[in-house]
Amino acid sequence: MVASSPTLGWSGRSLSLLDPTYASKYIPIIASVSEHQPPTWPSYFMDINVLAFLVPAGIIACFLPLSDASSFVVLYIVTSVYFSGVMVRLMLVLAPAACIMSGIALSEAFNVLTRSIKFQLPGSSGTSQADSGDTSMSSDGEQNDIAKTEKMDEKAKERPSKKNKKKEKEPVERASVRSRIEKKLLVLPLEASVIAIILLVLLGAFYVVHCVWAAAEAYSAPSIVLTSYSPGGGLHVFDDFREAYAWLSHNTEVDDKVASWWDYGYQTTAMANRTVIVDNNTWNNTHIATVGTAMSSPEKAAWEIFNSLDVKYVLVVFGGLFPSAHTQISLELKEMFVDTDGKGFDRVRRTEIGKKYFKLTHFEEVFTTHHWMVRIYKLKPPKNRIRGKTKKSKSKASSTSSSKRSGTEAFERDLAEAWSAKCNSVRKILLSLPI
Amino acid sequence: MGFRFDLLLLFTTLALLSTTTPTVLSDVILSRVDRRIDLNSQIVRVTSTLKVENAGPDPVSEILLTFPEVQAKDLAILKATLREGKGKVKNSGSSLPVNVANPEGMPPSLFFHSVLLPKALGEGHSLTIDVLAVFTHALRPFPEEITQADIQLVLYQDTAYYLSPYAVKAQSLTVLLPKARIETYTKLENTNVHGSDIKYGPYENLPPFSYAPIVVHFETNQPFAVAQELVREIEISHWGNVQVTEHYNIVHGGAKSKGEFSRLDFQARPHLRGASAFRNLVAKLPPRAHSIYYRDEIGNISTSNVWGDPKKIELLIEPRYPLFGGWRTTFTIGYGLPLQDFLFGSEGKRFLNFSFGSPINDLVIDNLIVKVVLPEGSYDISISTPFPVKQGQEAKISHLDVVGRPVVVLEKTNVVPEHNQYFQVYYRFNKLSMLREPFMLISGIFLLFVAGIVYMHVDFSISKSSASYLAKLQWDEVRATIQQVQGIINQCLSIHEKLEASLRDLSRTGDVQACKTARKTADSLLKEYSKELKPLLSFLQSSPQATQILPKVEELVAKERELQERLIAKHSTIVDCYEKKIGGRELENRVASHQQKVVALKQEVEDLLDYIEEI
Repeated sequence: MVASSPTLGWSGRSLSLLDPTYASKYIPIIASVSEHQPPTWPSYFMDINVLAFLVPAGIIACFLPLSDASSFVVLYIVTSVYFSGVMVRLMLVLAPAACIMSGIALSEAFNVLTRSIKFQLPGSSGTSQADSGDTSMSSDGEQNDIAKTEKMDEKAKERPSKKNKKKEKEPVERASVRSRIEKKLLVLPLEASVIAIILLVLLGAFYVVHCVWAAAEAYSAPSIVLTSYSPGGGLHVFDDFREAYAWLSHNTEVDDKVASWWDYGYQTTAMANRTVIVDNNTWNNTHIATVGTAMSSPEKAAWEIFNSLDVKYVLVVFGGLFPSAHTQISLELKEMFVDTDGKGFDRVRRTEIGKKYFKLTHFEEVFTTHHWMVRIYKLKPPKNRIRGKTKKSKSKASSTSSSKRSGTEAFERDLAEAWSAKCNSVRKILLSLPI
Repeated sequence: MGFRFDLLLLFTTLALLSTTTPTVLSDVILSRVDRRIDLNSQIVRVTSTLKVENAGPDPVSEILLTFPEVQAKDLAILKATLREGKGKVKNSGSSLPVNVANPEGMPPSLFFHSVLLPKALGEGHSLTIDVLAVFTHALRPFPEEITQADIQLVLYQDTAYYLSPYAVKAQSLTVLLPKARIETYTKLENTNVHGSDIKYGPYENLPPFSYAPIVVHFETNQPFAVAQELVREIEISHWGNVQVTEHYNIVHGGAKSKGEFSRLDFQARPHLRGASAFRNLVAKLPPRAHSIYYRDEIGNISTSNVWGDPKKIELLIEPRYPLFGGWRTTFTIGYGLPLQDFLFGSEGKRFLNFSFGSPINDLVIDNLIVKVVLPEGSYDISISTPFPVKQGQEAKISHLDVVGRPVVVLEKTNVVPEHNQYFQVYYRFNKLSMLREPFMLISGIFLLFVAGIVYMHVDFSISKSSASYLAKLQWDEVRATIQQVQGIINQCLSIHEKLEASLRDLSRTGDVQACKTARKTADSLLKEYSKELKPLLSFLQSSPQATQILPKVEELVAKERELQERLIAKHSTIVDCYEKKIGGRELENRVASHQQKVVALKQEVEDLLDYIEEI
C-alpha cells in the first residue's frame, strides 16, 4: 500500500525537503507550522552565531588537501545547509555539521598561528638556525629545492614498495612532506599571530557565553511554561498547560479520550496520560480536518462530531489573563477567544471579567487554568427527550460574535502574535515538543 | 438516610442491653463526665474528662471506654492521661496505657478499650482521667454532591449521653462548631446554643449504656485534605545527611463537586463560589531543612514558598490546581536534614529519632508507609514506636550497593497530626563501612587500569607458530633495532654539535690545543658508535621484514658518515688555518665548500630521521 501511493510512502514533510513549495501547495497543514517555515537570517545567527563565519573557513580548509574524508564533510555541510534553509527545525541537522566545520577551521587556524610563533621564537627549535637569522630567507629557498628533489627521489623509491598494501600510507607520507614545505612558507609575523590567537580565544569564549545564554533563554525555556518579569523584577510563571494536563491525568477516567488541536497531542499523551484524537504526527490530516471542523462548527454539530469520535473531553486553548502591575486582574490580550466550540469570538477589550456572554448546552466547562490559557470542556451526556421542549437557539452567543473566522489556524496565529508581544517568550509558544 | 436508621437500631439494641446486662461492671461509677467535641476541622477531636469513682468493694485496675461501631472504625488515636492536680489546677499528668479490650457478654456492635490505671483504685476512691479520642472521616458531607455555588454541609452524629458500661451520675456535652451556619441539630431537653457552640446537658443519673443519638448538620469550609496514601522515605547517609522524600496522593474528602467548574466565578467570588475548595497546604519542616523541592511526575511545581526561622521552616505548597470536592492530585516533596539533629548514639548503638506523621498541617492520612533506609551494612536493627504499627523489612539497592540497604517499613492506617510523635530506629553500624563505597570506586578504577596495563604487556596470541605472529615478532625486533640506530645517529649528531661548538670557542679564544683534544675525544666516540652500528645494520640486512626500511636506514647511515667526514675535514681545515695563522678571507674560502655541504647533509639527515620516525 505504501509503495502504491503516488509519493511512494514519502510523507509531505520529507517531500517538502525536495521541493520546498510542495507542502504549501498540497498539505497546507504542514506549511502552517512555524517550525516548517524557512528560517530567517537572524535565526541563523541566533542559533549558530560565530559558526556562521567559521563554516566557510572550514570549507576552505577542507579543500586545501581534498581527501575522501574532507570531501565527505563538505558534502555533509552543503546538504545540511540546504535542509536547514527549507525548514527551521532542520537547524538541528545543520548544528553538528557546522560544529565539525568550525572545528576544522579553528584547528587549522591555530595550527598555522602556533607554528609561525614556534618558528620565530629564538632558540626554541633546532630546525631554524639562530646564527643565520638574516639569511634565513635565501636558505629557505634552497632547502625547498632540496626538499623537492628529495620528494622526487622518494616517489621513485616508493614505486616498487607500493604493491604490498601500503596505499593508505602514501598520501600521509606525501602530505607530511608537503606540510613540511608549507611549514616554511606559511610563516606569519610573530605579533600578528599572537594577536590572532588571542582574538580567536576571545571569540571562542564569547561563543561559550552566547551558548549559555541561548541555552537558558531560548532552548531551555520550554514553550509549555511561560515566564514574564514584572516591573519590580519579580518572576511570574505561567504554568497553565501543565496545570491542565495534571488535572486531566488525575481527575478523569483512564480510558477517556481528549480532543484538542493537534499541537497539544503529544503533550496530552505524555503529561496527561490520556488518549488523544490527533497529535503532532500530522500524517493523518483528514482526521485533523475532522477535529478542525468540530472546533469551528456550531455547538450541536460539534457535539455530534466529538461524540462520534468517542471524545469525552475537549481541551481548548483560550487566551489568557495576566495579573497586571496593579495586582488587579485585567484582560490584556488583544483579542479574547471565548469559545472555539461555539461560533463566537468575543472581542473583549480591557473589560473586567465577570461577564459571560454565552451559555453552552451540549458542553460543560469542567476546568479552566489559573491564567485562563487552557479550558477543558466535557461533553454532556445526551438528554432524555422531553415532550414539547423547543430548543432555544443560542441566539446570545451568535449575536455577540463579531467576527467569524474560518479555522483555528487563524486563531492560533493571532494568539501567537499576542503572546509573543506580551510575554517576551522567544518563539514557538503554541507549538509543542519537536516530533 | 440509612445511617439514621442504623443509629435507631443501635439505640434500641443498646436500650435492650441496658436492661438485660446491667450488672457486669457496675462497681465503677462515673461521678462526672464533661465532653467537648471539636468539629472545627475535618479531624474530629473528642476530649472527655471522666471522674471515676469505685463504689464496689473490689479494687479496680482498669476502666473501659466504649465506642459504637460507626465511630470505632474511624477512631484514629485514643489517649488517656491521668489528671494529678486536684481541683482547678490543670496538670497534664502521665499518660496511661490504652489497650483494645474484649470483655465477654458485650454486644458485637460495641468496641471497648481499656485504660490501665497506674495503681488499683480502692473502694470509695476516685480519680480524674482525660481521654482524647480523634476520629477521621467522621464528618459526612450531606448532600454528598454539591455544585460550585453550593455551600458544603456536613453531618456529625454522636450520642448526647456518654456511652459507657458504667452508670454516669452527672454529665454535659459541648459541641464546638466553626463560625458558620448551623443547618439543623437534634434538640433534646437542656439543649442550648451559644454562638457557634451547642450545649447538651447537664444530665444526671443515667444507667449504663444510655444512648441518645444526636445529629448536627452544619456548614464547614475547612480543607478536607485527605492523603489516601503517603509514602515517606527517610534515607540516612552517614556522610551527614538525612534525606526525606514524601510522595503524596491527595484527594479532597469533602462533598463531591458536580456540574461545571467556572474559573470565572471562582476567581471573582472565591468565598461564595468554591468556598469548600482549598488552594494550598502548609507543611512545618524541621529546622535546618535544606534543598527543599516540590514536584510531581511532570516536573517542578513553581507555586511554593518557604519561610524559615531558627525554630522551624514553613513550606507553603500550592497544588497545580485548587482542589474541589473529589478532585485528586499527587505530588512529591523532599528535603535534606543535618544528620546530627536526628541521629544519636547510645550504648554502642545508633538510633534515629524521627517524627512519624506528615509535616503537613491538618492532614488525614488513610494509609501511611514510613520507610527508613539505613546505610548498607547496618545490623541488629530494632524499632520503638509510641503506638502500634505494622512493621516489616525490605532491602533497597542504590548506588554502589552489593547486598542492598536494609529498609525498615512501618505502616499505619488512619493517621492524624496527633501521630506526629517521635519513633526510634536502633541499629549498629561500623564507621569503617562508610569507606567501603569510595574504596570500591577506587579499586574498580585501579583494576581497570591494571587490566589495561596487563592487556598491553601480555601476549594473547593463541597460535604462537603462525606466520603472521612470527612476522609481527620480527617486525617488533626490526623496530627496536631501528630505534637503536636512531639513537646512535642522534648521539653522533650531538657530537657534531660539540665539534661545532669547539670551533666557535676556537674563533673566540684561539686555543688550538683545546680544540684538538675535543677533536680527539669526538673521534674516538664516533669510532665507537660506528662499531656499534655495524651489528645492527647487519641484523637489518639479514631480516626479511626490514627490506622496505633498509635502504632508508642505509642511506641515513651513509649520509651521516659523509656528514662526519665533511665536518672533520672542515674542522681540520680550520684548525690548520689557525695553526698556520691564515685568517680572514682565505679561511672562509677554504671552509665555504665544506660548510655548504655540511648544512645540506645535516638537513638531509634530519629529514631521513623524521621519515624513519614516521614509520
